[in-house]
Amino acid sequence: MPEPGRRRWQCRTCSAIYDEAAGLPEYGIAPGTRFEDLPEDWVCPLCGTPKSDFELLAS
Amino acid sequence: MTATRIPTELIGPAFNPATFGQRGAVHEIFRRLRREYPLAIAEVPGFDPHWIVTKHADLREITRQDRIFHSSERSKTLASQLAEQLMREYTGGAPHIFKTLVHMDEPEHTAYRQVTQAQFMPQALEPLDARIRATARRHIDRMVALGGTCDFATEVAFLYPLEIILDLIGIPRADHAKMLRLTQWLFTYADPDLCRPGASITDPAEIIKTWNVVYQEFKDYYDEVIRDRRARPREDVASLIANGKVNGCPMDERAMISYYVIASTAGHDTTSATTATAMWVLAEDPRLLARLKADPGLIAGFVEESIRWATPVQQFVRSAAEDYTLRGQRIAKGDLLYLSYVSANRDEEVFEDPYEFRPERSPNRHIGFGYGGHVCLGQHLARREMRAFWEDLLPRLQSVEMAGEGRMAESEFVCGPKSVPIRFQMN
Repeated sequence: MPEPGRRRWQCRTCSAIYDEAAGLPEYGIAPGTRFEDLPEDWVCPLCGTPKSDFELLAS
Repeated sequence: MTATRIPTELIGPAFNPATFGQRGAVHEIFRRLRREYPLAIAEVPGFDPHWIVTKHADLREITRQDRIFHSSERSKTLASQLAEQLMREYTGGAPHIFKTLVHMDEPEHTAYRQVTQAQFMPQALEPLDARIRATARRHIDRMVALGGTCDFATEVAFLYPLEIILDLIGIPRADHAKMLRLTQWLFTYADPDLCRPGASITDPAEIIKTWNVVYQEFKDYYDEVIRDRRARPREDVASLIANGKVNGCPMDERAMISYYVIASTAGHDTTSATTATAMWVLAEDPRLLARLKADPGLIAGFVEESIRWATPVQQFVRSAAEDYTLRGQRIAKGDLLYLSYVSANRDEEVFEDPYEFRPERSPNRHIGFGYGGHVCLGQHLARREMRAFWEDLLPRLQSVEMAGEGRMAESEFVCGPKSVPIRFQMN
């Protein structure tokens, strides 16, 4: 399992991947930002799915 | 409904497919609506009243709530009262001939989506990268061999995404032309150049007949595929659908055939429209080509901006399953809502200078793939194949210009260029 800061999380609705290593700089989220540290009201940028409906990718 | 009515002379043209052949006219209508009637009612003779939803924020709010704003009960696109009545007579009461993911509500929609979802995830597409790039290379080489002029829409853009998705489904190359033809009959039924030959493009009964012809042609074709893939499953999407179970049970026949239909049509037509649009933009702006050649890091943004610019799926209609308040307006249970994605993707409150093509927009909050639960299942594939195409072509393309008038399809639903004549030089 990758370490925090290098994990990938997948949107259950649209399959978009939040990659901790990359962050989302265009949305002000720095590379290395852990999923847990995203704001609680953060949503998938592609479909609006809430943070609670993301799952950790095993590899 | 006691809300504001949009003057018929303003909104009426949006109910005519021919209007969508003129991009300037379309944008002017919706620019004015966003400014003066951002959420108001169209009462066009022959049609039930429709809320016209023009604002990006409102489209996102609606499409995040599939349990309130339904897709299964009424037509998914603008339909006259006569057309809806004829449809129900034709189908024995159902509002649609097709039963695709687009036509389903929860929980059925997610259950059907899960039959193929894994195949379209980024991690499933990554291993296909070499194959996708090889296909892009082959289509670009064929374009080069055309000798410096071509109709980029018909000779390149219509063909590359078609091959990508049909290969994924598992359809032999010999049948791709038939799939393209059926796609055009289905989506551009109102365009005089692309419609089913002999069909009247304004008679609702003829339009329904066309859709039924398309359904029957797909059924005749895919019945054989289903039999084959059940007997001999392969590593393809055709096998996933043929053997797919929904809540432990086989799919109903109409849903299964419709699944093949949506994969075989929406799986390429929209990407073709976006690719043709992107080339049209390049052909009219030599500085843009120079920028992309100098900085290939801009190509991903170029692809995103081309999706926003094209917005090939221009509209969908939803029906309210309960009362709802939106933008201070009371939407009543049963009301119809026309969602204009074309308008949302030009919303001045979201996009700075929305009528300028800017590959550097970041973030690019377009909703060209939709939003919410019904967001495009194929969006990751679409992005991957478009990036592959432009990453191969742009370093090799020295110059491109229009070699005549570009023309848009006359279609109020899925719409893109039907002709992009270009003159080009390679390095």
